[in-house]
Amino acid sequence: MHKHSRMLMAAVALLVAVGACTDVTVEPKSTVSSANIFTEPTAYRQFLAKIYGGLALTGQSGPAGNVDITSNDEGFSHYVRLLWQMEELPTDEAVIAWNDGPLQELNTQMWGSQNSFLGQMYYRIYFQVSMANEFLRETSDAKLASRGVSGALATQIKQYRAEARFLRALSYWHGIDLFGDIPLVTDADVIGKTAPQQAKRADVYAFAVSELNAIRNDLPAAGAAEYGRADQGAVAMLLAKLYLNANVYAGAPKYAEARAEAEKVIAGSYSLDANFRRIFSADNHTSPEMVFPIPQDGKKTQSYGGTTFLTHASVGGNMNASDYGLDGGWWGLRLKPEILPLFPNNGGPTSADKRSAHFFTNGQTTSIANLTNFNDGVGAPKFSNKTSTGQPGSDPGFADTDYPMFRLADAYLIYAEAVTRGGGGTRAQALTYVNALRQRAYGNTSGNVTDAQMTTDFILDERARELLWEGTRRTDLIRYGKFTTAGVWSWKGNVAAGKTTEAFRNLYPLPASELIANKNLTQNTGY
Amino acid sequence: MFVGARRLIAAVTCGLLSAQAVQAQGTTGRITGRVVETSSQGPLANVSVTVTGTTLGAYTRPDGAYVLPAVPAGSYKLRVARIGYAAKEVPVTVVAEQTSTVDVSLDALAAQLAGVVTVGYGTREARDRTGSVETVTGKTFNTGRVISPEQLIQAKVPGVQVIDNNEPGGGISLRIRGGTSINASNEPLFVVDGVPLQVGGGVSAGRNPLNFLNPNDIESISVLKDASATSIYGSRGANGVVIITTKRGSQGTQVTYGSSYSNSLVAKDAPLLDAAAFRAAVQQYAPENIGKLGTATTNWRDEIQRAAGGQEHNLAVAGGKDAMRYRLSLNYLGQDGVLEGTTARRIGSSLNYSDRMFNDRFEVKTSLKASRNDDWFTPGGVLGSATAMAPTQPIRNADGSYYQWIDPLGANNPLSDLALLQDRGSTFRTLGNFEGRYSFPQIDGLSLTARAGYDFTQSARTTFSPSTAQSDVESSRGGRIDRNNPRQVNTVFEAFGNYTRKLEGLKSDLDLTAGYTYEKSQGDYSSFFAQKLSTNLLGSSGVPGAETQGTFLEIQESKLISTFARLNYTINDKYLLTGTVRRDGSSRFGPGNQWGVFPSFGAAWRILEEGFLKDKTPFSDLKLRYSWGVNGNQSFGNYLFVSTYSTSNAQALVQFGNQFINMIRPSAVDPSIKWEETTSNNIALEWGLFSNRITGTIDYYNKKTDDLIFNVPVPAGTNLSNFVTTNIGSLENKGVEFGLNARVFEPKSDGGFSWDANLNVASNTNKVLSISGAGSDAILTGGIAGGVGNTVQVLKPGYAVNSFFVFKHKVDANGKPVTGDKADAELYEDTNGDGSVNFNDRVPYKSPNPKLIIGHTSNMAYRNFDLALTARAYLGNYVYNNVSSNLGNYQALKGAAPANLYAGVAEFGFVKPQYFSDLYVEDASFLRLDNVTVGYTVRNLRSLNSVRIFGTVQNVFTKTKYTGIDPLAGVNGIDNNIYPLSRTFTAGLNIGF
Repeated sequence: MHKHSRMLMAAVALLVAVGACTDVTVEPKSTVSSANIFTEPTAYRQFLAKIYGGLALTGQSGPAGNVDITSNDEGFSHYVRLLWQMEELPTDEAVIAWNDGPLQELNTQMWGSQNSFLGQMYYRIYFQVSMANEFLRETSDAKLASRGVSGALATQIKQYRAEARFLRALSYWHGIDLFGDIPLVTDADVIGKTAPQQAKRADVYAFAVSELNAIRNDLPAAGAAEYGRADQGAVAMLLAKLYLNANVYAGAPKYAEARAEAEKVIAGSYSLDANFRRIFSADNHTSPEMVFPIPQDGKKTQSYGGTTFLTHASVGGNMNASDYGLDGGWWGLRLKPEILPLFPNNGGPTSADKRSAHFFTNGQTTSIANLTNFNDGVGAPKFSNKTSTGQPGSDPGFADTDYPMFRLADAYLIYAEAVTRGGGGTRAQALTYVNALRQRAYGNTSGNVTDAQMTTDFILDERARELLWEGTRRTDLIRYGKFTTAGVWSWKGNVAAGKTTEAFRNLYPLPASELIANKNLTQNTGY
Repeated sequence: MFVGARRLIAAVTCGLLSAQAVQAQGTTGRITGRVVETSSQGPLANVSVTVTGTTLGAYTRPDGAYVLPAVPAGSYKLRVARIGYAAKEVPVTVVAEQTSTVDVSLDALAAQLAGVVTVGYGTREARDRTGSVETVTGKTFNTGRVISPEQLIQAKVPGVQVIDNNEPGGGISLRIRGGTSINASNEPLFVVDGVPLQVGGGVSAGRNPLNFLNPNDIESISVLKDASATSIYGSRGANGVVIITTKRGSQGTQVTYGSSYSNSLVAKDAPLLDAAAFRAAVQQYAPENIGKLGTATTNWRDEIQRAAGGQEHNLAVAGGKDAMRYRLSLNYLGQDGVLEGTTARRIGSSLNYSDRMFNDRFEVKTSLKASRNDDWFTPGGVLGSATAMAPTQPIRNADGSYYQWIDPLGANNPLSDLALLQDRGSTFRTLGNFEGRYSFPQIDGLSLTARAGYDFTQSARTTFSPSTAQSDVESSRGGRIDRNNPRQVNTVFEAFGNYTRKLEGLKSDLDLTAGYTYEKSQGDYSSFFAQKLSTNLLGSSGVPGAETQGTFLEIQESKLISTFARLNYTINDKYLLTGTVRRDGSSRFGPGNQWGVFPSFGAAWRILEEGFLKDKTPFSDLKLRYSWGVNGNQSFGNYLFVSTYSTSNAQALVQFGNQFINMIRPSAVDPSIKWEETTSNNIALEWGLFSNRITGTIDYYNKKTDDLIFNVPVPAGTNLSNFVTTNIGSLENKGVEFGLNARVFEPKSDGGFSWDANLNVASNTNKVLSISGAGSDAILTGGIAGGVGNTVQVLKPGYAVNSFFVFKHKVDANGKPVTGDKADAELYEDTNGDGSVNFNDRVPYKSPNPKLIIGHTSNMAYRNFDLALTARAYLGNYVYNNVSSNLGNYQALKGAAPANLYAGVAEFGFVKPQYFSDLYVEDASFLRLDNVTVGYTVRNLRSLNSVRIFGTVQNVFTKTKYTGIDPLAGVNGIDNNIYPLSRTFTAGLNIGF
């Protein structure tokens, strides 16, 4: 009898006890929430590193894993890889052999708005913008004050903020250059599902210019920053590029401003690398010519994009992968034949211009009968995972070679082009810069050009020779009006002989998926 | 609460006092016991227990117990009877002043319809159900080599699809009435002896996580299909619930031993070019590669296949005395796969124990299971290499080494990979449940159950590739070892009360259940890898010095706290009403969204009980039922609502000067994410004819799922990534199910011919209703082999989930598809009429979901022989033949290492891959005789109780037009080098001592 009552009492007590367990909240343990991450002062530097890392890596796990943006294939979603493909493949400089998804559409300029490679670039740009915006929100004066940040850390953060704004401006430049009118989202916007409005290309251009001018003095002098980080040299270079193309972006030329910014770069502590090949080698971090590199490391900064892509994809056919410090070739990239005549002797082995010395013809045809056959087209493994002294990089699978986003030679050529376009400066100075590059290329003065030869059109060709496969050709051709309605090269317009294409292809389409997600957007004309 | 408790105590105290007065008799004794349903061992209520020749009698309580308090001493027969069951008479002797225990189990009368169905937190008699619940018991389970519990009910229950991947014990999916989700899990909730398992049955480092359960230990499997039945599981019930009940002992001692041996042979292989045809193809289409053609004749797929043996041993000791019951079992199973390198092994044990005490008022029950599963896999790539390797190359070079292509793009020699690579998983899992139920003597019909359970898994998956493996040689990777060690512990505590009462005045029965549950899950996922190994000698058993190493650890936790209640109310045995409500609190959602309420309602009308029909028709049962309810689905990741910062690993550092910095990245989230919600309706008619010799059910249902969780693109720049996981979209499933059970032949005499047959037919159609709220967009799904990022399926409003998304292939004047090496514009229709053929011309076309699923089971017996067969047919399901699309073009011959081709290449003559042609979407309707078993039983052979020998053939034949290996190529209908289909012959012996 007592047993029964006790049991009942126990049962009732049990029910009361368990009834109290109604808290279902569980905090994550293996990740840190935004509420407390910044109690560690190093978090600011690590978050800044993410914005830089967005250019060098595809996710939080190298070489692949925990990806930043959702994509079909993480390796393809690399910022530099996508940018490079969009700047080079539709031009007379390069073709790629692979049949992945709609990749071939880039070779022929026949892309549509469904092309996932274009879409991924768009999302990469806005991933950078979003990271920079979030960084700026998390380092606002109010936030810093609430966390009691002061002294040396506060000073550092001021520079970090300037760098975040530089990186945001860099991506907005890529955005307007590739896609035209795009949304302008800043740290003043709050995170949410509210779709942003589409901004005019000229307005985004103006924003980038004003940002760069605003942050300049918060950064170290040109060439004074730690390797891999932005300084006033990087800012000036980006401004020079924006101004040089201002006629395209905003309908008003700014050649004088472009020339002035190029001068600021040239005035920095950079110098031409006496060894041209070193700029593209595994030890190119020692090159004095780097203005803004995207550092890669075979062990510590691994991805399937960047120079790991550029080195591997350029190798195939009869090339010996180990000659380039690699574990194997990916049989992808070759030259389009139309670029060859820009070099003496068509860039053949006897070319006096050593900038074509890396061209590879053994087993390769000159013309391209089949886009997807690596043996069609001359090989050009410009980037190598060997050092300038012939030592292999730290890992044959992943390149040590840093990607030269901006380098001094480009500033020389911007100066020269701005001068020939009436942007002030002197032709004599321009000629000195151009011939400095040519002397390095020829090893002597035999390749020097005269003032009369230094026309605006000559600069375009010189850019192709100097900056071949460095991700600037499409922008250059558009500035010269030779990308679509003028200029014919193999497979342009999807015919073997090539044909002109419609002017609307000077812009890429906004991704079809983005038009669905953001109803405020209007597709670029023609798509 | 406290006021209520005081009242309850007062009532109890009063009850105890009055109970005392009943005692004190002279020449009488007591008979007590319990009545259960034979196959499920579930209690039977309202069974009349009468002492023949007297007026003494009683009805059983909901727990099946009965008491005849004062029976004059003497010998009697007890008559135990209940509508729908075969009545029994049991002898009993009553001694004065003593208690005699008589437990009885009754057999249900219907052929396959179990008399008692197991529902959430209780059991219910089949005739009283208002929801769609079906229980399959031992008698009708599939037999032969059954490794996974789900296979027991394949083709047995209308609307239930069991899909495996042909590997022994491999990757099984179970779908009840189609999938309600796209990105969350579509697997039902599994409940084993009262313990709910984690999504998909839990974690495993090997194949199916449910393989820890020995199918031979399973007594019954209940499938809860509609919301009236499942909503007591609230936020986890949307995909249905499968309740597995394991075997318990019965009075006396039973020792059984079963053993079987099997042999599996490849039933059908992928049609590829043979050496001669391949040589001819190279000569014609890739003359530049003639020099690379070897002189050998090798069938690579044959080389990696084998006749696969298997054996199984089961020993069980069960029994009981008075109220105590126990069952102890031991199982060993080993089964090789038809591909070299594949093996599944299990060693497991199970213990069930129950007893009653304190005048039968308190019942304790426990079940414990522990097993270790070892799953060895054929290393990844071997099957693909054997498919692509040129049939003209030799297995070995003259020097005895394995032949390999010089070019790294060529397929690796599959036999070399088989010899060198390793991929093994081992999973140790134990599941336990402790339960106590107390029936209050003071308040008749009130009982309280408390239950505590755990589910613990510790597993390891190891892959090893020595530096000598071809891919390591080619990539200079230098060997790699990977090991994942997932560990998971789930604990559950539940307390619920049950109260039943006959309301005589209202001619009604009341059955109320209410309770509370608390579940916690803790997952610990650690892993490491090492690369560039200093030695290969340790294999997968150690980590030698390695140049690159990485480690990873992640802790995942979740909680689910719920209260629930169910009321069954029966009026006049004619009108049945059920109302259920569950309130769930889940840690998977953010503040404000943590709690959800899931109601349901069911009603049934037993038409036959109406006077105008009673005894005037051949019907022995006729019932109409309807249910409505809401369920949830929260089977997706934890912490989706919290923005967290993840830290990059040692291979993803950013260089600042001479330093390399770990990056931190905030995640993009929707803080207001919540569960998916499915609202369903079900209407059904159940009937029985000729004393339930023929019974049948027809169900119509529709299910609409809202707040589907999608990882959707968000406007660029508005969140921290381009995709955010959020609730967007809805889809719908609707269908008709038809079940028929018949005792076609009833034995005229003992040992005469008998034949029970079951036929079930189900039709389910699903449709995406909306995505992104926009109603116009489409999400591409269904990744294929070939290229990077190519997909062939789509989620598009108005079309079936994962409809194929392909070009419309043009046909010529004869109605034949245009073939050969032609441009896209010549091959495909310009469906949008924009003058060019491009990706925008792809259209949704056919669905991987069958329009009709038919299952048939027959059980026959004659004298000592028994025969069982199970057959299955799908109609209207389509499969994308990815082997054909990937290897069905001559381009593969042109590479540096020409690859073998699918035999269909000759028919289509494509030179370039045509991945998106609708020609590859093939009709995969089929008819398959899944299982034929013949047995012979001898009873009372010397000291043995029974001996049965049997032989089974599984996958006897398949009739289909599909050209690939298996028309059942996975849940999503993409056939890419699936595991070869096998036919298994099993012979076995069961001995009952």
